[in-house]
Amino acid sequence: MPLADKTMSQPQALANVRVVDFSWVRAGPWATRWLGALGAEIIKIEWPETERGRLPSSTTPQHLEVNLNTSGNFNDTNVNKKSLSLNVRSPKGLEIVKRLIAVSDIVIENFSSRVLQKWGLGYAELCKIKPDIVYVSMSGYGHTGRNHHYTTFGPVAQAASGLTHLSGLPDQPPAGWGWSYMDDTGGMYGAMCALTGLYHRNRTGQGQHIDQAQMVSSVPLNGPSLLDFTVNGRGSRRAGFPPGNRAHWPGTPLVNNYRGPTVAPHNAYRTHPGDYNDWCVIVCHSDDEWRRLVRVMGAPAWAAAEKFATVAGRLRHQQELDDRIEAWSLTLGKYELTERCQAESVRALPVQSAEDRVEHDPQLRHRQTYQAMEHPALGVHKVQNAPFSLSETPAYNHLPSPLIGQHTREIVEDLLGYSRQDVREGFTDGTFWPTNRDRFPYMEDMAR
Amino acid sequence: MTDAQTPPGPLAGLRMLELADEKGQFCGKLFADLGADVIKIEPPGGERTRKLGPFLDDIPHPDRSLSFWHYNTSKRGITLDLQTADGSGIFRRLAATADVVLETFRPGFLASLALGYETLRPTNPSLILCSLTPFGQTGPWRDYLSSDLLHMAAGGEMASCGYDEADVPNAPPISPGGGNAWHMGSHYAYMAIMAALVYRQVAGTGQYIDVSIHEACALTTESAIPNYIYRGEVLRRQTGRHHAPGPTPRTQFRAKDDIYVTALIAGGLNPRNVKNLAELMDGYDMAGDLKDPRYQDPAFVTANTAHIIDDVLANFIASLPAEEVYHAAQERGFTWGAVRAPEALLDDAHLHDRGFWKQVEHPELGRSFIYPGEAAIYNGSPWRISRRAPLVGEHNTEILCSELGLSRGELSVLAENRVI
Repeated sequence: MPLADKTMSQPQALANVRVVDFSWVRAGPWATRWLGALGAEIIKIEWPETERGRLPSSTTPQHLEVNLNTSGNFNDTNVNKKSLSLNVRSPKGLEIVKRLIAVSDIVIENFSSRVLQKWGLGYAELCKIKPDIVYVSMSGYGHTGRNHHYTTFGPVAQAASGLTHLSGLPDQPPAGWGWSYMDDTGGMYGAMCALTGLYHRNRTGQGQHIDQAQMVSSVPLNGPSLLDFTVNGRGSRRAGFPPGNRAHWPGTPLVNNYRGPTVAPHNAYRTHPGDYNDWCVIVCHSDDEWRRLVRVMGAPAWAAAEKFATVAGRLRHQQELDDRIEAWSLTLGKYELTERCQAESVRALPVQSAEDRVEHDPQLRHRQTYQAMEHPALGVHKVQNAPFSLSETPAYNHLPSPLIGQHTREIVEDLLGYSRQDVREGFTDGTFWPTNRDRFPYMEDMAR
Repeated sequence: MTDAQTPPGPLAGLRMLELADEKGQFCGKLFADLGADVIKIEPPGGERTRKLGPFLDDIPHPDRSLSFWHYNTSKRGITLDLQTADGSGIFRRLAATADVVLETFRPGFLASLALGYETLRPTNPSLILCSLTPFGQTGPWRDYLSSDLLHMAAGGEMASCGYDEADVPNAPPISPGGGNAWHMGSHYAYMAIMAALVYRQVAGTGQYIDVSIHEACALTTESAIPNYIYRGEVLRRQTGRHHAPGPTPRTQFRAKDDIYVTALIAGGLNPRNVKNLAELMDGYDMAGDLKDPRYQDPAFVTANTAHIIDDVLANFIASLPAEEVYHAAQERGFTWGAVRAPEALLDDAHLHDRGFWKQVEHPELGRSFIYPGEAAIYNGSPWRISRRAPLVGEHNTEILCSELGLSRGELSVLAENRVI
């Protein structure tokens, strides 16, 4: 039975929670996506002239026109939301959004630090509208501190916070993170802050401003390396760091590299047939695990050498060890190698591309990680589901991403109590859509 | 302002029992630093994460692991062997007082000790029990072994990280270090538990939560999955910048002090930002030919992209220290950043302005050390490190005797029999 059918009869954790969502691009929308999956009503405030997240789109299916409603990445990032198209920088738009805030629990945004304040919606103003509002701002550098006006993308937050430095081969440029890790993770923090603020409000009756900052949230993720410096005085610009995929780089001083125990083997190895993503990682956390790997490899003569019998020896002779293991791993496909190793309790898993995860990963298939959902402009596509299941209040995707302005009439008229006439006027006077811009067909009913 | 005058954290009054190794200790820390009473329950002798370096002064000892220190701030700690009858009895009594149990054992382990959710719920119907495990409680990989590196491989992180062939020929896919698979799992576990707590405020009932680290990692590669689902594209790895279906211009440049700078041009080069770049560089007499009016023609900019980036921009950055480039560019509206080693953050004035760095007392050593602080500032209920990580069994007496009511004699018997 599809997940959604089974779970839709159960209650939702955040039922009756309403979120005013000013967020755009990636980090903020990723936060509210999860609040929506947990049952909150997410009202996304958008304006086509300044929109960022729908466009530019590099994930529109090849057969469709690129427009505000056809970005695949936007769809996956914005499921479970409604869209109110509104010019907040007009007096009428501002009045409408204030009425919306007055009946909401959470305001969340990921603009630069002073934007909401300039619109007349700073925290002090929000409190006047809704005294117990939980306001989560998700800016690059936060609302306080001398660099609050600096801007970030994920890669810049990762660079400035030390995360990029943890990734790469020694004596090479940083490999960094091949995507905006801190947009994903910043989104996590946005959702975590909102939930924490909500819990606190329910308990105490007090709202608050939670000033989350993408660059700052990255820093505690480097904890052990920071403490190695503040406690031991050891920095991480040193020989052998970062150690590629290894726990330790051969021929450099033996110290912990903040990625778990210092052991060998601990690396990525090529697998058959040797194409771009044909790699497997293998790690042995103990001599026992190493002996089990030797059995899986068919107990080759080289592996019986005394120098490989202990972790100290394997670290000392790591290059030879890795070369030998790779000569074996190249004879097997990555999934076959994984199954053989794991059957003998040896730590091994394949390097998986997106295609691998969606098509070939038996675990993700079993867990229904990717579930088909229909979107009015994009058609039926798989959408990423929550990595957790709650027994009483399941999180699930119940709405495709909204078309821009799709819910404008519903929100303004049904929720806020404006008249049909007000809605029509709002389309005439540029409150709900720019007067000089073509309307999408679904807007015509609202404008009539 | 002293601690007594500041309001409590947002999770004050909440009690979590943490039965977690490297997989979940960060989730426990997130709760503890926000005010929850997190009791870390370790096997006698201490959790094996205490054996992970680096150690204070490089002297290995269960109370000197800096990794353990970081991930276990603000918690109290007791030792307890759950596999003994006395140990599991004590755990049941503690679970009756708890709001949340967080556990990272292999699937089925707690249930095999008659300590699973179904056993604990009758005496505490509002209990939330969260299992945070490598692959979740079901599925063909349920019992597979894992590690941080393994998760970064199977989760898709490695397929997106690495080098341009021109920079490092034959490079493997690269796994960023730092234990981020555990962070990803812990973030989602925190979110799921908080959602259950909010629901409990309304409905009064607890629930069971099954979190999969593999799924958390598989969700954390931004557009890689949509690129495949909507366009069938499998992305290529590129040095220090985003994965992409085809090559994109480099964004990482070496500065004068051999530190790199990530210099992105938002939206790509155009006459407006070339003019802006020229003004930034002209302040250092490094604008090259960018002030040439021909750059106000978009076609000319496009035709000279390689020159602008690989000659003029690269030369400019190579002439200055990375920090200077970073701040000068940001002040002009460029979204650039120096690729700093973590220790360089100690000199970051912005973090100091935010009161980010915390002095944490280690009374047993008579010393205090600087720890990283909060991801977000809560203006009504502050985050704080209330104490350093617990020593092995540090709160056995406080929790088992003073709070649970065991006598000192009973405590001694438990110790003699290696239950604690």
